[in-house]
Amino acid sequence: MPESPMMIGRVTRCSTRGFVGAMQISENTLPVFGSLCQAEAQGGRSYVVGLVYDISITDDQFARQLAALDEVPQEQIADGQLNRQVPVEFSALAVGFHDDDGFHQSLPPQPPLTLASVFSMVPEDSVDFTSRLHFLQMILNAHQLPVDELLATTLRLSAQARPEEEHERFLLQAGREVARLLAQDLTRLENILRGLRIKE
Amino acid sequence: MGIHLPSLLPQMQELGQALYERSLQVSAMIPKAIKALHFTAELDHSDLQSKIKKAGDRWTGAIPTEETLNLTFPPPTAPQGLHVIGADGSQIYPDRHAAAFYYLINVGSIVVSHGSGEAPTIQQESRLFFEIEDLYDEADHPVQNAYVNLRRDVAEMKTLAERAESLAGEQTLAILDNSLLLWMALQTGGSTSRETDLYLQQYLKLLDRLRSSKAGLAGFIDRPRSVSVLALIHLAGLPDGQITQETLRLTPFRGLTDRAIFTKLLPPGHRSALFISASPLNRDFRTAGHEVYFFYLNTDADGTVVRVEIPIWVAQDPGLLNRVHAGILKDCQTTGGFPYTLVRAHEVAVIPAQERAAFEDMLQRTLLGHGLRPTQSQKALTKQLTGQRKQHRL
Repeated sequence: MPESPMMIGRVTRCSTRGFVGAMQISENTLPVFGSLCQAEAQGGRSYVVGLVYDISITDDQFARQLAALDEVPQEQIADGQLNRQVPVEFSALAVGFHDDDGFHQSLPPQPPLTLASVFSMVPEDSVDFTSRLHFLQMILNAHQLPVDELLATTLRLSAQARPEEEHERFLLQAGREVARLLAQDLTRLENILRGLRIKE
Repeated sequence: MGIHLPSLLPQMQELGQALYERSLQVSAMIPKAIKALHFTAELDHSDLQSKIKKAGDRWTGAIPTEETLNLTFPPPTAPQGLHVIGADGSQIYPDRHAAAFYYLINVGSIVVSHGSGEAPTIQQESRLFFEIEDLYDEADHPVQNAYVNLRRDVAEMKTLAERAESLAGEQTLAILDNSLLLWMALQTGGSTSRETDLYLQQYLKLLDRLRSSKAGLAGFIDRPRSVSVLALIHLAGLPDGQITQETLRLTPFRGLTDRAIFTKLLPPGHRSALFISASPLNRDFRTAGHEVYFFYLNTDADGTVVRVEIPIWVAQDPGLLNRVHAGILKDCQTTGGFPYTLVRAHEVAVIPAQERAAFEDMLQRTLLGHGLRPTQSQKALTKQLTGQRKQHRL
């Protein structure tokens, strides 16, 4: 477990395949699509590694009424963003877990429980977890998700977690692994490889 | 089984037809009522006061003030750095069929500092009442829901007073989502008048604290059904010799409300003249220095007319009166004529069904943890079982 991870929310629904977390709105702590996070499981003895694939804000008729106005006072915008009990929901795909033996890239033995804390993964742990790429197959198997964008974004963020001189080497290695996994589907492969380019 | 829709459908048609016909009758009354209001405004003030005296203590109309009663008053400029406090409450009533006999009062409040750009500050206070003295009145009867409402109203006013005191010296307006008159004090059923009086005295002391904090105070009543101004204009039209309880009851404006006539009279942002509530309860408020005045206010361009109640120390201070008038309008700008602070205070205070279920679940586990076996009454259990049955949707 990293030394000072940032808590981004608490689990509201979960299974061994993934979990959904909720949080109060705050742009600073909003999780990012494709980022890695960890949720406590097994009474704190392990952490499920999740990959954020969806972030949604609950529909709210009052906010909709305010949004339709020409001008909304700054206090009311701040109230809506900081105070109102409108949680942001984020969904994460389980791609591994961490226990006393370190990171594992397979489904966790148990899901986190309701209200378990969810933390963003610090760069050191992200580098450690993505030093092996078996989890890419788990992403490709998640058919109902925006897999191609998720995979490309995750690899790009994982590259950025490394020192600058290692970015290219990591992306090349990841690109080769993706090519191996998608050897039968060249159109998708091209799409993902295009997404792997770090935007300047 | 739910409601029997086939038998209700014809009744619904009758209801629609009846309401349509009533709306035509009411519309026809409005010009007459407005004419009568102008007539009343022309009457000599002392003559009108003499008629009110003749009407007696049981008359609950509106008592006119020095303001000409058919005048309208345009919106004043809102003060800079205005803090608006809103408070609202909700409750779980005592239920003898539940796993435990208790009640809960939840009060939510918010302070919006207009023009600051800062997020408002929110407070929520939840309190559980479970002691014998909370649950039974002096005659050993279980407390009625009206008694819980009374305690909730006092708790709301306490929150407003505390938050106003924390802003003493600032331009502050405290808004209550209710009448300022503690109506529940008249409706506490089985509870003894001594207990009711105790809470009334507490409430009046809280008004003292609000007055000392120099905050403007207003009770905001949306869609009021009051007919007190209509009662006044009916009284004004009666010859002195014909003012009796019988003639006072025979108003030609039956079915009409004050709101209907002020919707026609008040341009957006304007308020009506000030009136004094002739409610018997207002005598206690008068004695304590908090006699309740009121005016009608058009809070938005769509003609939303509300009733605003203020204590005498706001009514007689032009600065505070303007602060209430302009502050409410400012707070209503984005929320369709209802104050933003009250929308949010309600949202903070309300106990959604899911939260209530989670609370009751926690309570049952707590009781089990103390070696108690929480059981609902057989009636409550069977209601739950039958209520869970899936219904076929139409």
